[in-house]
Amino acid sequence: MGRLDAVYDWFDERTAVRSLVRKGLYEAVPKRGAWFYTLGSATLVLILLQLVTGIFLTLVYVPSVTEGWASLNYLKQHDAFGSIVRGIHLWSAYILLFVIGLHMVRTFFSGSYKRPRELNWVTGVGLFLLVLVMAITGAFLPWDQAAYWTAVVVTNVPAYTPFIGSFIRALWRGGDFVGPITLSRTFGIHVWLIPAILFPLILAHLALLRKHGEFGSYVNYRGAYRSREGVDVPPVPPQRPIEPPYPAVPTDELWAAPLETEDFFPFQTFKDGLVSVVLVIVVFLLAVAIGAPLEPIADPSTTSYTPVPEWFFLPLDELLLLVPQQLIPLALIVPAGGVLLLLALPFIDRGPERNPFERPAVMVPGGFAVLFVIILTLLGSGRLFNL
Amino acid sequence: MARDSRRLSRRQFAFLGTQAVGAVVTLLLGIPIVGFILSPLFHRQQVVWRQVGDISGVPDRQPTKFEVSFPLDEWTSSNVNLAVYVVKLNNEYLVFSNTCTHMQCPVRWQSDLGQFLCPCHGGLYDITGKNIGGPPPKPLPQYVHRIDGTTLFIQNSFTESI
Repeated sequence: MGRLDAVYDWFDERTAVRSLVRKGLYEAVPKRGAWFYTLGSATLVLILLQLVTGIFLTLVYVPSVTEGWASLNYLKQHDAFGSIVRGIHLWSAYILLFVIGLHMVRTFFSGSYKRPRELNWVTGVGLFLLVLVMAITGAFLPWDQAAYWTAVVVTNVPAYTPFIGSFIRALWRGGDFVGPITLSRTFGIHVWLIPAILFPLILAHLALLRKHGEFGSYVNYRGAYRSREGVDVPPVPPQRPIEPPYPAVPTDELWAAPLETEDFFPFQTFKDGLVSVVLVIVVFLLAVAIGAPLEPIADPSTTSYTPVPEWFFLPLDELLLLVPQQLIPLALIVPAGGVLLLLALPFIDRGPERNPFERPAVMVPGGFAVLFVIILTLLGSGRLFNL
Repeated sequence: MARDSRRLSRRQFAFLGTQAVGAVVTLLLGIPIVGFILSPLFHRQQVVWRQVGDISGVPDRQPTKFEVSFPLDEWTSSNVNLAVYVVKLNNEYLVFSNTCTHMQCPVRWQSDLGQFLCPCHGGLYDITGKNIGGPPPKPLPQYVHRIDGTTLFIQNSFTESI
């Protein structure tokens, strides 16, 4: 036994690290379609990229309406590496929003949210919303013209909540108007409050994933063969060399255990790693080539500046344009209803069927909802960028 | 030994005690924190008068923009510039903010249209500030103001809340 093993043994005796690593890395995952199952780890990698670059950005950024813009302008003018760090923070946030959306659509398609994984989905919806809040609050912080007017419009949206609207607006702004307290509060929300909820929720999401195992999709299960004529349902999968998360004892249940599995480590981790490294390289190239823009400092007295929303805010912005004057609260009620439907999804769609082509009652409305968001985004970008 | 069922067992007492301790800590922390978060709501913004300038040169029916510096907040020494549109209609003066009543974007006077336009969602106001098109639900806000001779003064507050 080598010296390193002895050190590891010493450490394991005191911390049980070996069984932790074993639990984390040695699990069975579905073999077919594994490239689709890399989106979750890609999301995690992008969030960790946010964490690291965000921590380092606080080494220069000052959350103040007079100094905040100046600190980032200094970065832009005099600190090439700092500008890259800020560029990575911005571009990995943009790509994160995209990837987390794909992860959600993939999970929706494959029906992975069904029993016993309902809470995997619910925590995932929570994470999606928290990431959106991170994106929106992060957009306030540079305190340039774009940031300031985003802050004004975004904090004004909840003012149309029936009954308590202006209360929520004043709570976020720390007064009737956007000002120094708005920036302090939003900074606190962005760097402390939301991360303090986000990271424990990620741990819960991963713990649930480990407990129930990666579902994959219908192609991995006996249930996929059930309805096809002339195709025999494959036999019950054999007992696995690596036990949980799936039922270790063979079962007749069609959707309980995948037919063919492989080890998470190193097979799935290699695919995960490849996808993530491509994303990180793309982020890095965008950060170097384009970087993070910084417009002139916020000017509330402007009468020539045309505010343009962040791209991920476009669907809501377009909704604000489309709803008639008497029905402005609709622009809030529609997205809020969407969120409630997302949270309720695993409790509404409770049948065992996982094949997306045999779940039209869920797939068709879901498809229309995605289409609705895409159309609003296209309308908004067409209007604002004259495409 | 027979137990009196009306009396708490040692276990029940410890169980309730643990919860009570948790409740005390939650309250002692929660009350000041909630009060702290809510405090700006009960803290009225500092309202002050500032001189806008001489408005005798403002032409009839041509909204004219002024900029006025106001203190940003009590705990900072810095100022914020606010935009003021002064409109002379016959011998009346209207004193508008550039704040759209829809989403509070910065409106601008479009002399070609003869209207105030909000660039965000296309809100339109006529020269009297009346909301005449697009999504704005209320007229363009007016500053609380007074005119001494030909000198205009405004407060950093609106005549009606938006």
